[in-house]
Amino acid sequence: MLDTLLSLGHGLDVALAPTNLLFIFMGVCLGQIIGALPGIGPSAGMALLLPITFGIPPATAIMMLAGIMYGGMYGGTLTSVLVNVPGEAASVMTAVDGNQLARQGRAGAALSVSAIGSFLAGIGAVLALAFVAPALAEFALRFSSPEYFLLAALGITATASIGAGSPLKALLMAVLGLVIALVGTDPILGSARLTFGTSELLDGIDFLPVAIGLFGIAEVLNSLERSFDTNPMRTRLKDMWLSAKDWADCRMAILRGGLVGFFVGLMPGAGPTVAAILAYVTEKRFSRHPERFGSGALDGVAASESANNSAAHGALIPMLALGIPGSASTAVLLAALVMQGIRPGPALMTEQPDLVWGLVASMFIGNVFLLVLNLPLAPLFAALLRIPYEYLAPGILVISLIGAFATSLSLFSVGLTLFFGMIGYLMIKADLPRPPLVLAVVLAQLMESSLRQSLMLSEGSLMIFFERPLSALLFLLVLASLALPAINAFMRVRRERHHHNSSQFTFTAK
Amino acid sequence: MRIVDITSALVMLAVSAGVYIATRHLPYWADFAPGPAFAPFWISAAGAVLSLILLVGALRRQASPAGDWPDRSGAFRVILAAVGLWTVVILAPLIGLLPVATLFMLFLLIIVERRSILPSLLTVAVTMGLVYGVFSAWLGIAFPKGMLGI
Repeated sequence: MLDTLLSLGHGLDVALAPTNLLFIFMGVCLGQIIGALPGIGPSAGMALLLPITFGIPPATAIMMLAGIMYGGMYGGTLTSVLVNVPGEAASVMTAVDGNQLARQGRAGAALSVSAIGSFLAGIGAVLALAFVAPALAEFALRFSSPEYFLLAALGITATASIGAGSPLKALLMAVLGLVIALVGTDPILGSARLTFGTSELLDGIDFLPVAIGLFGIAEVLNSLERSFDTNPMRTRLKDMWLSAKDWADCRMAILRGGLVGFFVGLMPGAGPTVAAILAYVTEKRFSRHPERFGSGALDGVAASESANNSAAHGALIPMLALGIPGSASTAVLLAALVMQGIRPGPALMTEQPDLVWGLVASMFIGNVFLLVLNLPLAPLFAALLRIPYEYLAPGILVISLIGAFATSLSLFSVGLTLFFGMIGYLMIKADLPRPPLVLAVVLAQLMESSLRQSLMLSEGSLMIFFERPLSALLFLLVLASLALPAINAFMRVRRERHHHNSSQFTFTAK
Repeated sequence: MRIVDITSALVMLAVSAGVYIATRHLPYWADFAPGPAFAPFWISAAGAVLSLILLVGALRRQASPAGDWPDRSGAFRVILAAVGLWTVVILAPLIGLLPVATLFMLFLLIIVERRSILPSLLTVAVTMGLVYGVFSAWLGIAFPKGMLGI
């Protein structure tokens, strides 16, 4: 406890350095804007802006990128409430009630409760992170190669089973990610694999062209299909005050949303979107006015916004303590660490205390910045929504290409980025999820190396994955995450069959 | 969506087969440890099994919601943007990355999106100024220069 507080104090020293403060501010402002833009999410924004962090120290770079991640959670609210289009996926539930409130002349209250809820839940989640992450990292120091293989496998399978959409398609896209990661040189024996005689592929396919292509270019191409001339509702500073009754209605929603978000954020693959949906559904059960949900429930907005910000912070725990990203945004953050020459894993907290504790402390500061940006300055950011998206899209595409070039100084990387942009666009159209692919690209090397090291240690015996209690537990979790979607599908079919039979019976009886 | 799912399954089946064929010359087991073909074998096997499950599920399904495809003008905009992007990569060694990126932005704004000229020029100037300031002046990245030397 005392150690954590001392480390946090040290982290505050790091984060309060003028350069770091400037980059935290830049990160949260960019996150706020990126979150508000309907065509691009925080993961895309982080991937696009990752190349500009090459010129700054690692700790500063990570603080800025994390700022974009949680800043995006605040920014998405603006578009959801004022335009009825979620700025990013995690604000989908906010659009349901937030826009209804705006139509009733309560846009200010919806934005205000979102900002306050996000802030309180964010600060709570950072505090929990500061205490949970070191303990988890210390525990994870006992892990060896079998546990690492199973943990990486769990990261991928859980993404498929917990995430939104079809688990089968998610698993298939994870396999595609693993195929992409196979390209290059074998990590143990050094043989060329799937390079097809191309020397540029010998080093493998870098994470950035994949992430920039799949998230940045694909999302912009998708948004070019239709016009985005939005007409956001106006909001004024004096409308931003919450009444005592509003606060009384929402405080427990914020607490419940924050808790749900934090625990969902810890789970690999679930992320802020699932957290927001789950918190909204939970709040509807607890609310004194469940009938208002869908037609303007302030507590519904408070719960979902608190949950998405809390989940964004909670997702950093497995990333910092284990080196296993649980979402697309934390995968970009992990890639940023690797590109800065830092090895992620349980030793990160002891080897890089400035970076880890600086990051943790920066999130307190970043959340304060965001509260200020979202309370008195919300009308100013709302005015940004009046810029037609068509003017922004070409700029985002050009920055994607330039960023891809900057990572490797080769036009081959730019071509690769475009290739993945086209694939990403087709994936959106085919309803194939992109986060499992990106997560698999990030986790593939750890997964393959640790699997082969384990089998080397055991001389080919698979018993190494069950001998130790920890690895046996992880193995069971992997199996459970694979079985969960199958059980859900079976139950759904049974329910549908039962419903079909009972309706047939009623018809016959009549 | 049924046709799309069938296509996705067939593409992934082909990718899995391709991975298996392209790596089968590598050793599966080297002395006492898994070799370079170990992971490709299991990944392609998993890909094939999952693709087949998706394929069979899609073939057995009768009703299916329609996919979110663009209308004709939307598809035309996406195709023009994609062609423009590939043109940037092809022309960058000839006329330079920054000049071709500037031309691409103007093409997208004025021709594809039919936006007014003045705001488009302003948007291009601001974006390229930002790109030059951050990537060239601050990070010192040397972009491919074309025949004009810019």
